[in-house]
Amino acid sequence: MAPVACENGVCPLSLSNINDQWPKGWSERDRVAALRAYGVLHTAPEIGFDDIVALAAKICDAPTALISLVDTDTQWFKAKVGLVACETGRDVSFCDHAMREHEVMVVRDATQDPRFADNALVTGSLGIRFYAGAPLISAEGLPVGSLCIIDYRPRPGGLTDLQAQALSVLARQVISQMELRKALAQRKESEETARRAVLASEYVGAWDWDMVNDRVVADERFARMYGLDPEVGVAGAPLSVFMAHMHPDDVDRVAAEIEQATEGDGVFVSEYRLQAPGETPRWVVARGQIYFAADGTPEHFPGISVDITERKALDANLADVAAALSESEAKFRAIADSMPQMVWSTHADGLHDYYNARWYEFTGVSEGSTDGEGWAAIFHPEDQPRAWEVWRHSLATGDLYEIEYRLRRHDGVYRWTLGRAVPIRNEAGEIIRWFGTCTDIDDLKRVEQNKELLSQELSHRIKNIFAVVSALIALSAREHPEAKAFASAVRNRIGALARAHEFVRPHSEVSRPTVGDMTLHAFLEALFKPYANDDGSARVTIEGDDAIFDDQAATSVALLFHELATNAAKYGALSVVGGRVILRTELRDDRFVLTWTETGGPAVAGQPTREGFGTSLATLSVQGQLGGRLERIWRRDGLKVVADLPATALSRRRAAQNVR
Amino acid sequence: MTARILIIEDEALVAMELRFVLEDLGYDVVAIAADARTARNLAKETEVDLALVDIHLSDGPTGVELGRDLAQEAGVTVLYMTANPGMVRNGVAGAIGVLGKPTDERAVQKSVEYALGRRNGQPVQYAPPELQLFAN
Repeated sequence: MAPVACENGVCPLSLSNINDQWPKGWSERDRVAALRAYGVLHTAPEIGFDDIVALAAKICDAPTALISLVDTDTQWFKAKVGLVACETGRDVSFCDHAMREHEVMVVRDATQDPRFADNALVTGSLGIRFYAGAPLISAEGLPVGSLCIIDYRPRPGGLTDLQAQALSVLARQVISQMELRKALAQRKESEETARRAVLASEYVGAWDWDMVNDRVVADERFARMYGLDPEVGVAGAPLSVFMAHMHPDDVDRVAAEIEQATEGDGVFVSEYRLQAPGETPRWVVARGQIYFAADGTPEHFPGISVDITERKALDANLADVAAALSESEAKFRAIADSMPQMVWSTHADGLHDYYNARWYEFTGVSEGSTDGEGWAAIFHPEDQPRAWEVWRHSLATGDLYEIEYRLRRHDGVYRWTLGRAVPIRNEAGEIIRWFGTCTDIDDLKRVEQNKELLSQELSHRIKNIFAVVSALIALSAREHPEAKAFASAVRNRIGALARAHEFVRPHSEVSRPTVGDMTLHAFLEALFKPYANDDGSARVTIEGDDAIFDDQAATSVALLFHELATNAAKYGALSVVGGRVILRTELRDDRFVLTWTETGGPAVAGQPTREGFGTSLATLSVQGQLGGRLERIWRRDGLKVVADLPATALSRRRAAQNVR
Repeated sequence: MTARILIIEDEALVAMELRFVLEDLGYDVVAIAADARTARNLAKETEVDLALVDIHLSDGPTGVELGRDLAQEAGVTVLYMTANPGMVRNGVAGAIGVLGKPTDERAVQKSVEYALGRRNGQPVQYAPPELQLFAN
């Protein structure tokens, strides 16, 4: 029988047709379920079962005895003597037959039995000849296997009555063992479940107080909770023994509550602390019921208690959080009310729900009247569309809200106000609320306007000084006719500087230059105006990229092109009718290149042998002031000058700001 | 006939230099006024063909109003000369235009010739590029 493999535990034959042979009333599925409910398949050998097969073999005088449990496809041996294999395929199983019988099935000579004559266990090396099996029937009446003995010689005499009876008794014994086994396992499981439930429920324990004899009987957990030996609890002890472990601050109160329950309807509910030596106090809630004798005397008082320490801690924590919240709310209001600004807040959708005291003080509106969309009425009507647009944009994008508008003060005067708001986001990054401020900047605005006026006045004075200096030079030169040319050159240079100043000084609407914008091209056009044709058409054509430029660059640019133009008017393209200049300005990545090309002038012989002051001034302007390179190319048909500047040179202040 | 020119300018040096330039060119500079009242009185007492008017005078930015009055009421041809041409950006009725300061002799000469040409009904020449004309 051994040769059938059991290592992998599976013999691949399905006997689905077996179902059809079963008596009505139960199915193969129920049978297998009943077998598996014992939880015995593939468990280790157990002495109780081993003893039974040993006894069966002895009684029947057989070399082999087995407890064979018939699973879906295999039969597995819980106990065996005289056999090595631990299971075989169900297709060769004798027990599969035996278990369907009501009594012991006896096969005297398998070779002669049509059911087993060609069974591999019979024809093979194992050579079973004799078989006797008693069915194993579960408590529900389902066959799960058999207790059998096997011999390798035919036994024409079969079993004796005693042997057959013993086999049946032992088979029932096997089932009893298996039932016991199952019951034990179930009890263990339910105990485990109960233990877990108790642990999870924070249930402490139960007591029963015999009030007449003053004896409290308590279970183990209860006793331990009171710092008592569990045996004291089981044996019982006076109430005072238990009360001794109650927190001193709670003893009197609990005693009063017991008194109250005794005099009333007997219902007792109390929360108190237990203080076991060396441990932190535990909070418990005790619920009990006093039972009274017919004459009204309290007799006994059973109850249970539950550990609520953690719940208490949670409650306390909640209270702390609530206190902290209300404190921080109070702090926020105190801060908000003491701020010089008006402070407000809205829901994520922009609905106003809070204003500080300053808002009400400034606007004079009654508290709550500007909640929701009421705030819009406080805005200057001209500023409302703009403010709404900016606010809607912020609400939609979460961008910082910042705008200047006029806000109506309580006296009806509109004051310029700076409104700002930032979104407050939750951990997920969603906007949960907006906090905003309104700052009265009306005075500041006035100061700014005054400052602007002052700086315009100052600028005007500077411009006037250019005129005075220019006049002074002209007047001085009158004394010295030989200095006339010199004076004229200096005055022209001052004129160029004055024009540069005009372009870059702080401007108001009124003082803005009369021509064009404050760009490089507009400035150069103004600078070259004196060199135009009589009909006003320009002789210096400016083309290419325009640029913004500031006061730092202006004087250098003015001097450079004043010198180039003056020179061209004296010796170059602008000295003859028909000659012209093209000034090309190009932004090439981080360079700004200005190319001055003269055409149509007198033929150029080559580089002048001597460098004039004007030339030095131009070079100094570009290389010294603007940090660029200046190159002069003396082409035959006209001078070409290339000023290669860093792109930031024209507007250093702006470049510096952009770096931030 | 030599044109009679009134200089209205509160910076004495600038006024003096302008006077010399104009006199060199053969014009008759009848007077220099540093404030609007003086200028008005002078215009009443003396015959003036052309007034060169600064805007910021010793009594404040009174030049704009003064120029308008001289042009419209006293029949004087008015040319503004100022360091702050933006003040008369939108033009002044009756006045010719504005010349920025500082400027050079040639621009002064061309501008005065242009203004007097207009006054005398001569064919309008090209105005010098430095002179911004008012559209009126």
